[in-house]
Amino acid sequence: MNRRRSAIVLTSIWSTATGRFSLIVMSCWLLVALLSLVWTPYSLWATDGFHVWQSPSWSHPLGTDGSGADVLSWLMAGSATNLLIVLLAVILTAICGLLLVAAMLSSHLGLSQLAVVVIDALISLPTVLVALILAVPFGPSIMVIVVACSFGYSLNLARIVRPQAMLVARSAYVESALSNGASAGRVLMTHIVPNILPLLLVQLSMCAGTVILAESGLTYLGIGVPSSVASWGHSLATSVKFINVYPLAVIWPGLVVTVVVVALNLFGDALRDAVDPLENPRLRNPSPAPSEKTQEAADVRES
Amino acid sequence: MLAVVRRLLLFVAALFGMSLLVFAALRILPGDVASVMAGVNATPQRVEALREQLGLNRSIAEQYGSWLGGVLRGDFGTSLLTGRSISAQIGVRSQVTFPLIALGMLIALLIGIPAGCAGALATSRPARQSFRAISIIGGSIPALWGGLLLILLFGRGVGLIGILPSQGFPQQGWQNPLQAVMSLLLPAMTVGIIVAAGIMRYTRSALNEVMGSSFIDMGMACGMTRRQATLRIGLRIIAPQLVSVIGLTLAEMITGVVVVENLFALQGLGSMLITDVGNRDLLTVQSELFLLSAFFLTIGLVVDMLHQLIDPRLRAVKGGIQQ
Repeated sequence: MNRRRSAIVLTSIWSTATGRFSLIVMSCWLLVALLSLVWTPYSLWATDGFHVWQSPSWSHPLGTDGSGADVLSWLMAGSATNLLIVLLAVILTAICGLLLVAAMLSSHLGLSQLAVVVIDALISLPTVLVALILAVPFGPSIMVIVVACSFGYSLNLARIVRPQAMLVARSAYVESALSNGASAGRVLMTHIVPNILPLLLVQLSMCAGTVILAESGLTYLGIGVPSSVASWGHSLATSVKFINVYPLAVIWPGLVVTVVVVALNLFGDALRDAVDPLENPRLRNPSPAPSEKTQEAADVRES
Repeated sequence: MLAVVRRLLLFVAALFGMSLLVFAALRILPGDVASVMAGVNATPQRVEALREQLGLNRSIAEQYGSWLGGVLRGDFGTSLLTGRSISAQIGVRSQVTFPLIALGMLIALLIGIPAGCAGALATSRPARQSFRAISIIGGSIPALWGGLLLILLFGRGVGLIGILPSQGFPQQGWQNPLQAVMSLLLPAMTVGIIVAAGIMRYTRSALNEVMGSSFIDMGMACGMTRRQATLRIGLRIIAPQLVSVIGLTLAEMITGVVVVENLFALQGLGSMLITDVGNRDLLTVQSELFLLSAFFLTIGLVVDMLHQLIDPRLRAVKGGIQQ
């Protein structure tokens, strides 16, 4: 995707109400994450034994936790951790997913069969079990979440992307590229990946949302982010203890997580409409060469 | 038939692979299992005794063989910390977890499928938008937070309409079924609502896709209304995919189930696993992890078989014309 196409896609997303909402939420997330790296209202370790379990007030907008630390500061710092986790998980999912797709498309029959079979067998393993298998020897860490999530989602991704990747792999232009001596890797990167990109991007943005949800669950269970590191899951787990002290404080961390996950899902939907030349007329004739190819693939898919 | 045999072989291979993986996961610890279990302050004698007790002085292959042999005979050994039989523990804990999963799934299906159909059949723009909004927001709620909100709404003691118990499972277990179900209701609603959103979303988009197809046109040409054609023909067509999706959702739902068990103080398999990991009762963890993986691999197998069974199109292509 060249720069001009990206600009068109972004403005198309911005032009819908849901797309605008998702872009705004995601930018806020990014800004808060960057801000928290240099400044938070209170230091995360500034404990204050005289002001534990405080209700929200002007000096502590979201109250304080059991050791007197500021809840808002932890929530802000958590957005940076979650951003890191999501980025790592999405990248790892994309890499493993593409490798699986490549294996399924390979002309080596044994390998492609094996990939399909392995996906079928392992796809039903829950993330929390994979996370436990990793957390027992290595202890809770960010990597446990990243690897456990990527494990499940890359299998899912490969399964969803496969039919379309097969269509492209059987197309005349791939055949012609192969007969001109292009290597399998080159065909994958220059023909197959650009054609499945819309589907891939949508799945990856959904996966980003699910990673955040998984992080909150795993961290609460003590097998995700270590308790000394700020994260949204950590804030949520702290808020559980608030329930008897100040029930309304329970709302905030969960609301942040829900809004961000909704935004990521809406972004995925908006992205799907924006990058599909059939849905988005503005993409059809900007630079003839690339759009015609996607159009062709879309026609094949339609018929 | 060949496909079924191949799938079964694959299942056995996956089980074997999981047993190796789980076993290896507990052996790649820095240091050895005994010193980890005994803790930092243990005397060398204590560690040595524990090594003896765990059979860690034998070779790796021997340890693996005796563990797997026990598992295959249904004997999981005894927990070194509590001294109780692991199989018995798992039996007791299952009485909470499996009903919870079943009740959650029931709630999810009862909400998800009708809501998905309604979303697909809605014709006005605001109605379609609100169905879409519900499915997206419902699927974006962390299980932990959903549970907390439900406690705040319905939990006895803290809730606005405090009618349901929110902590623990009755001591007598299932002897008093009503009480048992009541105590599982809030946790099951928590996981159910989240899963319902996913099922609703999928049902809606799959039905929307089918509605443009010639199957529906044919039904309507034969005199069905759009609604009848969608519900009778459309649902039948998407049924096989729906079964697969529900099976996969079950796997996704489990993180939520473990979280909810901890939040609502239910003594289920999930909370047992988390406690044992916390206590570093590693041999118990090893058996539990393997059993649970086996359970989910079985679910995957059943779903695949069911998919084959209810999709006539898969039977038709037996000749080898594959898509």
